[in-house]
Amino acid sequence: MQFELDEDRALLKQSTRELLDKEAPLEESRRIMEDSDLGFSKTLYAQLAELGYLGLTLTEAEGGAEVGCIGLVAVLEEMGRAAFPGPYLDLVLASEALRACDCDLAREWLGRIVAGDAIAVIARRDTLQADDAAPASAVFDGKQVAGSKLFVPFGSHADALIVTTRQGLVLVPRPGTGWNATPLETLDHAQRFVEIQLALPGTRLADAEQAQRALARVDRVAALGGAALALGLMERSLEMATQYTLEREAFGVPIATFQVLQHRQAEMFLQTEASRAAVYRAAWAVDSNEPNAALLVAAAKAYAGRAARFVCGASIQLHGGVGFTWEYDPHIFLKRTKTLEEFYGTTHQQLENALSAAGIA
Amino acid sequence: MDLAFTQEQEQFRNDLRQWLKQNLDRPFLEEIRDPANDEDKLFEIRRRFQVKLNDAGYLGMDWPAEWGGRGATAVEKAIFQEEIFRADVPPIPNLLGVTLLAPALIHHGSEAQRRRFIPNILNCEEVWCQGFSEPGAGSDLAGLRTRAEPDGEDFRIYGQKVWTTFGPWADWIFVLARTDADDRHGGISFFLLPLDAEGIEVRGLRQITGESEFGEVFFDGALAKREHLVGALGEGWRIAMTVLSYERGSTSLAEPARNDRFLADLARGISERGTAQRADVREKLAWLLVENEVMRGNGYRTLAGLASGRSPGPEASIEKLLWSELAQRQSDAALELLGPQAHLRADSAHARPTMDWSREYLWSRAGTIYSGSSEIQRNIIAKRVLNLPTR
Ligand SMILES: Cc1cc2nc3c(=O)[nH]c(=O)nc-3n(C[C@H](O)[C@H](O)[C@H](O)COP(=O)(O)OP(=O)(O)OC[C@H]3O[C@@H](n4cnc5c(N)ncnc54)[C@H](O)[C@@H]3O)c2cc1C
Repeated sequence: MQFELDEDRALLKQSTRELLDKEAPLEESRRIMEDSDLGFSKTLYAQLAELGYLGLTLTEAEGGAEVGCIGLVAVLEEMGRAAFPGPYLDLVLASEALRACDCDLAREWLGRIVAGDAIAVIARRDTLQADDAAPASAVFDGKQVAGSKLFVPFGSHADALIVTTRQGLVLVPRPGTGWNATPLETLDHAQRFVEIQLALPGTRLADAEQAQRALARVDRVAALGGAALALGLMERSLEMATQYTLEREAFGVPIATFQVLQHRQAEMFLQTEASRAAVYRAAWAVDSNEPNAALLVAAAKAYAGRAARFVCGASIQLHGGVGFTWEYDPHIFLKRTKTLEEFYGTTHQQLENALSAAGIA
Repeated sequence: MDLAFTQEQEQFRNDLRQWLKQNLDRPFLEEIRDPANDEDKLFEIRRRFQVKLNDAGYLGMDWPAEWGGRGATAVEKAIFQEEIFRADVPPIPNLLGVTLLAPALIHHGSEAQRRRFIPNILNCEEVWCQGFSEPGAGSDLAGLRTRAEPDGEDFRIYGQKVWTTFGPWADWIFVLARTDADDRHGGISFFLLPLDAEGIEVRGLRQITGESEFGEVFFDGALAKREHLVGALGEGWRIAMTVLSYERGSTSLAEPARNDRFLADLARGISERGTAQRADVREKLAWLLVENEVMRGNGYRTLAGLASGRSPGPEASIEKLLWSELAQRQSDAALELLGPQAHLRADSAHARPTMDWSREYLWSRAGTIYSGSSEIQRNIIAKRVLNLPTR
C-alpha cells in the first residue's frame, strides 16, 4: 500500500512545477488574465502539447502518455497552485468526449488536440438556468446544428465545438467568418466564456445514447480535474496566507502569533490535506476501476469545492485590507475556485451522485 | 500510488470475519438494549469477549512474539480495528492496558514488570485505568501536582486524578506523579498501583450520558513500590508521550467503518419516515456520506504511511479532528433527520432497534475533549506543521 506517486508521475509533477514556475509565474499569468483577449499563452500551450500534456490520460495508441487520472490530477494540482490560466482542463474534457466516439472524425480531432494543432471544447449549456446535467435542447437535422450555447469556455478562439444536441454529439468546425459569439464575463476574470449562436453545418460524432456514455466519462474527469485544481488553489492560498501572517505586524507582534489566526490556518491545512487524500484516492479508484469510483469522485469534488471556497476565502480574510485589493493575489484563487464549483460538476450534482452511488435513491 | 490490500491482507480479513461470525453472539448494541443487562453485566460481557479475542491471538498482534505477538503489520492491525468496528463487538474493557500500558512496558519497563503484568492485561485478569489528568491539569498535563514522596526504597502517592476511564471497574492504575517539584517535565515519574491499596479511594463520576464509565481517584499516602516504577525516576513524561503515539493510525479505517453502519441506519430511518425525497434531508445525508469517504481517504493515506514504516506525525491530529468533529455533526443531523424517535434512549419503549442515536449524540461531545482536545490538535498543526510562532 502506497499513497505516494510512483517515480514517473512524481517526476511529471515535479517537472510541471518547474515549468510553470519558469514559464507561468503569477505576474505573467496576471498579465494574461487582465490584458489578453485570448486568455492564455498560445506559445505555452504549444509547448505543453509538445511535452505531451494534452494526452495524459490517453493510451499510447491514441498518442497519449498513459499516466491515467493519477497523472492528470498531479498535473492539475500544479496548475491550480499556479492559478494557470486557459483552457487546459477544457481541452482534456474535449479529448475525453472524442475518444468515447467511435468514428474517424473524432479520432482526427483528438489527434489535433493532442498535437496542439487545434482547440476544441465542449458546448453544453443551452439556457441560463441549465447546469451540465440538463439535457441538451439544440437540434441537429443531419446537416445543421441549430440552437445557442452558453458558457462555452474559451469558445471564441475554438477551431471546433463539440456540441451537445438532442440527437447526440455534433462536431461543428469554426466557420470562415468566425463564431457568432458574445463574451460572457463572469466574476472570474481569468475565464473566457462566450455565448455562441449556432446555425451551422456539422457532423455527428455520436448518437444520443453514445453521447450519454461519453458525457458520463467527461463528467467524471471534469469532477476529478476540478477537484485537483481546487486542491492546488488551496495549497497556494494557505502558503500565501501563512507567509503574510508571519510578515505582517499588528499590536507590536507578527499577526501569526494570534491563536485565532493560527487555528484558522490549522483548519485551512486540515481541509487542504483531507482534500488531497480524497482527490488522489478518487483518481486511483478511477484508474483501477474500483467499484466505488463514482462515489469517491463525487465525494472528492463536493468536499474539495467546499474546502477551497473556505480556504481561499480565509486567505483573503487573513490578508486584511490588502486582501481586498486587485494588486494582491488572493482574489485570483477565490475566483477560480468558484468557477470550478459551478462549471465542473456542481456541488449539488456531486451530492446527488454520491447518494445514488451509495445506493440511496 | 496503490491503495489496494494484498492477498495476505485480504486473507487476514476473511479469517477474521469468519472468526467473528462464530464468536460474536450479537452486536453490542443489542446487549445494551437488553433490559437484563445493567452496567456491571455489560462490563462482564466485554471482559468475556476480550478473553476470546486474546485466545484467538487478536490482541497485541504486533508485539514481540514472547508477549503474544504474531508479527502483524500496521495494515493488519487497521483491518482488525475496521472489522471489529463494523461488526459492533463489545469493546474490550482493558483498552488502556492493551493499547497504552503494555506497549509502555514492552518499550520502557523491566523484564520483571513485563512478566508480571502483560499476561494479565491480555487475559483481562487485571483491568487497568489511566491516571494522567487531574482537576488542575488536563490539556496542560505537565502541570500535574499529584506527588510521589520517597518512603525508604518505595514511594507514597498524594493527590487526585480525575475523569479516569474505567476507574470504577479497574484493578490497577498507571499514574503520572511528580518526583521533583521544580522540574516541569523531568520531574514526572510513571508508577503502577493496585486500586485496592490502602490510601486510595475511587469514586464514580456521572457522565452526561447518565453512565459512570469514568471516575475520580484520590491518593492519600498509597504505597507505590519501587519495583512498580516504570523506567527511571523522572522518565514519566517521556514514556507517557511516546506511549500516546504507539496507537496512532490504527483506527484510520475503523471510524469510517463505524460510520458506514450509522449512515446506513440514517438512510433507513429517513426512508421509513418518508422524507427521503426532501431536498434538505438529501443534502444533509449526502454531506455526511461525503465527509466519511474523505475521512476514509485520509485514513488510507495514514495507513499507507505506516505500511512504509513512517509513524504518523501531524496526520494524527488531522485524523483526530476529522473523526471527532464529524461524529458531532453526524449525530446532530441524525437527531434532526430522524425526529423524535432518535431522541428515545435505547432502553425506552419504541426506541430504534438498530441504533442509539441519543447516546451517540451525547457521547460525541467527549471525542473533541479527550486524547488532546480539538484546540490542542489545532495548536499542534499550527506550531509543528505550519511553524507559526508563539508570542
Ligand atoms: C470521556 C472522557 C474520558 C477521559 N478519560 C481519561 C482517562 O482515562 N485518563 C485521564 O487521565 N484523563 C481522561 N480524560 C481527561 C481528558 O484527558 C481531559 O479532559 C483533557 O485532557 C482536557 O483537559 P481538561 O478537562 O482539564 O480541560 P482544559 O485543559 O481545562 O480545557 C478547557 C478548554 O480549554 C481549551 N484549551 C486548553 N488549553 C488550550 C490551549 N493551549 N489553547 C487553546 N485552547 C486550550 C480546551 O481545548 C478546552 O476546550 C477523559 C476525558 C473524557 C471527556
